[in-house]
Amino acid sequence: MAETEFDVVVVGAGAGGGTMARVLSEKGIKVALLEAGPMLDPQKDYKTNKWPHDYGHRSAEDGGKAYFGTGQAYGFMTAVSGGWQLEGEPYTSAPGTEFAWFRSRVVGGRTNHYGRMSFRFSDLDFKPYSRDGIGWDWPISYDDIAPWYDRAEEYIGVTGTVEGIRSAPDGKFHEPPAPKVHERLVRAAGKKLGVPFIANRRAIITRALNDRPACHYCGQCGRGCLTASNYSASQVDIFPAMETGNLSVITDAMVREVEVDEQGLASGVVYIDKEARAEKLLRGRAVVLAASACETARLMLNSKSKHFPDGIANGSGLVGRYLMDTVGFSLRGTLPALENLPRYDTDGFGGAHLYAPWWLWDGHDRLDFPRGYHIEMGGGFRMPGPNSFGRTARAAGYGAEMKRRIRQEYGCGIGLSGRGEMIPNNQSYMDIDPDTVDRWGIPVPRFHFSFSDYEWKQARHMERTFRDLIEAAGGKVLGIGNVAREAQGIAVPGSIIHEVGTARMGDNPGSSVLNRYCQAHEVNNLFVADGASFVSNPDKNPTLTINALSWRTAEYLAEELRKGNV
Amino acid sequence: MSSTQGFVSLDALSRRDALRRIGLALTATGLGQGIDAADAAQVHQQVDEERTLQGQYKIKYFNEHEFRTLERLSELIVPADEGGPSGREGGAPEFIDLLSSQNEELAHIFSGGILWLDNASAERHGTRFVECSEEAQTGLLDSLVDAERNETGGETSWDTREYRRFSVFGVKSPSDMRQGLEFFGWSRRLIVDAYYTSPAGIKDLGFLGNSSHTEYTVPQEAIDYAFRRSPLRDA
Repeated sequence: MAETEFDVVVVGAGAGGGTMARVLSEKGIKVALLEAGPMLDPQKDYKTNKWPHDYGHRSAEDGGKAYFGTGQAYGFMTAVSGGWQLEGEPYTSAPGTEFAWFRSRVVGGRTNHYGRMSFRFSDLDFKPYSRDGIGWDWPISYDDIAPWYDRAEEYIGVTGTVEGIRSAPDGKFHEPPAPKVHERLVRAAGKKLGVPFIANRRAIITRALNDRPACHYCGQCGRGCLTASNYSASQVDIFPAMETGNLSVITDAMVREVEVDEQGLASGVVYIDKEARAEKLLRGRAVVLAASACETARLMLNSKSKHFPDGIANGSGLVGRYLMDTVGFSLRGTLPALENLPRYDTDGFGGAHLYAPWWLWDGHDRLDFPRGYHIEMGGGFRMPGPNSFGRTARAAGYGAEMKRRIRQEYGCGIGLSGRGEMIPNNQSYMDIDPDTVDRWGIPVPRFHFSFSDYEWKQARHMERTFRDLIEAAGGKVLGIGNVAREAQGIAVPGSIIHEVGTARMGDNPGSSVLNRYCQAHEVNNLFVADGASFVSNPDKNPTLTINALSWRTAEYLAEELRKGNV
Repeated sequence: MSSTQGFVSLDALSRRDALRRIGLALTATGLGQGIDAADAAQVHQQVDEERTLQGQYKIKYFNEHEFRTLERLSELIVPADEGGPSGREGGAPEFIDLLSSQNEELAHIFSGGILWLDNASAERHGTRFVECSEEAQTGLLDSLVDAERNETGGETSWDTREYRRFSVFGVKSPSDMRQGLEFFGWSRRLIVDAYYTSPAGIKDLGFLGNSSHTEYTVPQEAIDYAFRRSPLRDA
């Protein structure tokens, strides 16, 4: 068994692991970064500026998989590596539970294709229990994390405008691009209804930053960006960190467990080298888990030893507990005002240029649900692909009339999506399936999940609001935005891919797994740098907060290493 | 068979234009080597594709008669008009052939569907579909559309079979044409998609994206057009 000594072993090369590896390696600390998938090669893996007709299958994939729901998640053109199911790496759900778990297996992880919504949690978000007596407070406050949001935003680059809205704190912004026509219509409808739409906050740069050129508005962030004008952990954190000479990236390494020494400290990790199908040991003075909330919890629960019979750092029994996703619901409609709209390039910076932050944060006493949501938007003249014109084609029949209507209705479609806060509950958690191992011999997670009335009522409020917005813009509601995902009236748990909260932080070791620096209460040299540390899951997409927390933990860990405390 | 000729030359043109545009935009922002390599790779791929596509298309799955039927359906379902050529020129028959050669379910739907269509045609007109008059051919397609509307109410992109589970879209008057609906739905779906993803279809739609700009602007003309037609004022 080969043994190599590093200062810090980081598990997982996504937003949290990437930030951790960069900050530590820039300080001269020797870091090993383990990734369960291959190295990313943007030149090869990204489909920047491709057209469907560059491929015989026109982006429907071999045999037309896209039509049968068996194609790549989010479509062939995206930079997705992984998906809802990975061959040989199953997960299970308890009877009556539906949970969708999206895993990426590549350096950079899900940040290669994510939506790049970058919203700061507000002061209210860190102290929800103090406000309404539901859920739990974080051990840290907005003031504790604000400097780290500043650093993360200044390094990553985030667009936005200063608005002074308490539920959506302002940051260090790049100038956002102009709103598109359909977005202006929805913004005007929102103004009528009291729903404020403001410039979107996305991890995209509109001026050059650290050798990264400004966005060129090809609209293809989801395909990966060859110019690194958007944030991905791979291109913005890990590739620069590799140039320091202090970072070793170990790919195709599926970590099974954290090794514990005689004192009950972490001594390294055991991983399966996927190429060799052999077990290897990697030693370090400290171990940082950033494998994504559920992989991290799985790893902790599978790390059993005489010191930790229920999994490492799990004396509280809370590892795997209080799993949360975001509440998702969407409606789609059509805006006849846009019929035969003069053509222009609606790609912009690869997603909506406007969004609505939660606007009723001070009005929950008048609502039947306690927490808020923000509104995302889709529309415009999108690049044609599989099933782009299915509805119009069917409505028109075929022939010249169908062709005329497709031309007329092209770009009229609008989608509004709610992304709401879910409140952690006792029924939503993951444990280890006692009967199943994956192809690497590692026991797999088993999910248990249940939304409460808090979430269902919030989703119905989304539905009414979106209907009102579409109708106020003179449009017509066509139906649920994503039938496969939201047929029940709320998105399948896990499917918004904001799963967080399986090893929450707190000041009391009896009711939390990590301390306020994301250091395990029971294991001094074990840290967590992904969404597992989250105490609540506000309506803000989690990545920016993962970046900020990971940076903060990295600085703390570096200082503890220097002092000899770790 | 020349169905891919127009498709290819348009494709090559727009690709070269796009590459030139991207190249310029990126040079202007002072970009490094990476993009040049990508451009080079794309140009190589383009040249390879042109080489294969310029020659006669070699049918992969269907027989000659089936392929001819697909060509005719591609002309009827997406006909040439002032906005652009037909689905046949958009490469629809080749697209369906490629996918069917890789997918038994699609192969079954199309082979069986074409036999069904020929049989329905023979019953009505005494000949196979491709040998009918244009009027007879559109008459058959019209009957399929009528049957489909009876099944689904027309306003949906969902698969017909799924819709039957919802009582609100219940069948009004069953038609013997409904046996051809799955085939018809797939034909329309793949012909429409092949056409609108082809360079000619992109041009027909007026899609201007997938390109690079140094700044992003929204034309005032488009904003005014939409607000004039809406109950709202720009905020």
